[in-house]
Parts: sequence; structure tokens; C-alpha cells
Amino acid sequence: MSAKLCDICDVCTFSVNLCIENVVGGGDYSQSQVNKWTANIVERCLTQLVKQGKPYKYIVTCAVMQKTGAGLHTANSCYWDTAMDGSCTVRWENRTMYCVVSVFAVATA
Amino acid sequence: MFGWGNCWSVPVCLHGICPGILFSMIMSFSSISTVSYIDELGHHDDNARLAPTMENTYQMGPYKRFPANAATDILKDVLTSYLQEEKYEVEWSQKMTKTLCEVIRARVKELMIPRYKIVILVHIGQLTGQSMQISSRCLWDTSNDTFASHFFKNSSLFGVASVYAIYFE
Repeated sequence: MSAKLCDICDVCTFSVNLCIENVVGGGDYSQSQVNKWTANIVERCLTQLVKQGKPYKYIVTCAVMQKTGAGLHTANSCYWDTAMDGSCTVRWENRTMYCVVSVFAVATA
Repeated sequence: MFGWGNCWSVPVCLHGICPGILFSMIMSFSSISTVSYIDELGHHDDNARLAPTMENTYQMGPYKRFPANAATDILKDVLTSYLQEEKYEVEWSQKMTKTLCEVIRARVKELMIPRYKIVILVHIGQLTGQSMQISSRCLWDTSNDTFASHFFKNSSLFGVASVYAIYFE
């Protein structure tokens, strides 16, 4: 993993967590708000990543699920240049919901 | 040390390394979060490696665009054939998500679209009347890059698969 990508993982560790906390915070799961939450989370994460000014294309995915004891499994598989591209997943939960944010960074040129 | 605007207790931060995966965990009073990312073990000594310089191809765009319709058909076919008659089970679902990722990646690679990088995301979950929302947003070149996704449901589980195709200039 290149040095540039390590910076993106650092961004993920702190910024993405901060984005999720700010959007969803200490609230409970709400069906009427979840659409807005997911849109806000991905948009803020993308804005933070763009601010790094690195030559990468980004894919940010967010899944928010209500806690009812149901199981959820997520996997990803990528066909890319392992030296220059990478991904990062943030799993966040509170009392009433799970939030999984995945960031994929794909190098250009 | 950590700037949590609305958390009023001291966050606890743990770091750990499993072979190939680095993770860190942050806990506060009301929420827990875990971050993990892949670190290829063989590249530790390559940190200072610069990206290889390629000769100019004078190619302005892809000669063959990624067929989103064909990708959707692949997703539909794979999800239906693997999940149609199945019942949700924890161990089986864990393996099946990874299997589906590998199968979809192999099928998309068979389309032989040059200069495209592929990212595949699969979610399998249990149906217990819970509510869920999955969204994604991308920063890319809209003329060359595209995506396809498909949702499958039976009586006990649901499956969502997405393919993102990014052109490498």
C-alpha cells in the first residue's frame, strides 16, 4: 500500500467516524430520517476525502440498519492495482442501529 | 486527543493487527466503532515505491465502454441461482457473501473490458422486519465510469450486489 493510501486510511479512521457521529449522533433509528442520514454521511465523507487533494477516484457506500437481532454480512472483492488502490471499512453502532461505511480509493494515472 | 464534538466521555482507542488486516476500535459511552483496512503484507518494504511511469498511449477514452446492462444481468443471474432456495444461517451466509463476490468478479472479468478496475460489494442479511437503507456516492468521471446493482429477496433473507467499474486512464 502506497504512502498516499495510508493517508486516506487515517482520514477514514477519524473523519468518517466524526461524520457518522455528527449526522446520526446519539439519536435512535428513524425510518423517515434514514434516507437523509445515509445521503449526508456519504456526502460528508466524500467531501473530507476530496479535501485531501490526492489523485484518486472514490466510492463511498453507507449501510444503516435497525437493530432487531437480525444478521447482516457484507463482503467486497476488487480487481485493481493492489499497490496503488485500497479500501477502508468503518463499522459503527449505537443502541438502536448499525452503520457500515466502506470507502474505496482507486488511483488515476 | 480525539475531537468528538458531542461525546462527553473519554474515548478508549484500541489498535490491533491480524495477518493482512489492520484495525482500530474506538468506544465511547453511547457508540462503538471499528475501522479495518487491508494492508498487503508483501508491500511493507514498498512504501517508498513511486507509481510506475507509463508510456503515453495517446488514448483519450475507453475504446470499449463498460456494459452496465450486461453487468446487471450477471448480478441477477448469480444472486438468483445462489440464493433462490436458501435459508438464512450465520456460517453459511458468511461464506456465501465471499463466494458471491468471487463469482461475480470472475464473471465480470470474463466480459474482458480492458482498462477498467472493478469493485464488487455484496450484502446478505436476514429478514426479521427490520428497516435498512444502503446508499453510495462516487467521485469519478461520469462519462467513463459506471455501476450496476441488483436486489434479491426470498422468504428468509435478502441479498444486494453492486458492481462499480472505474476507467484507468
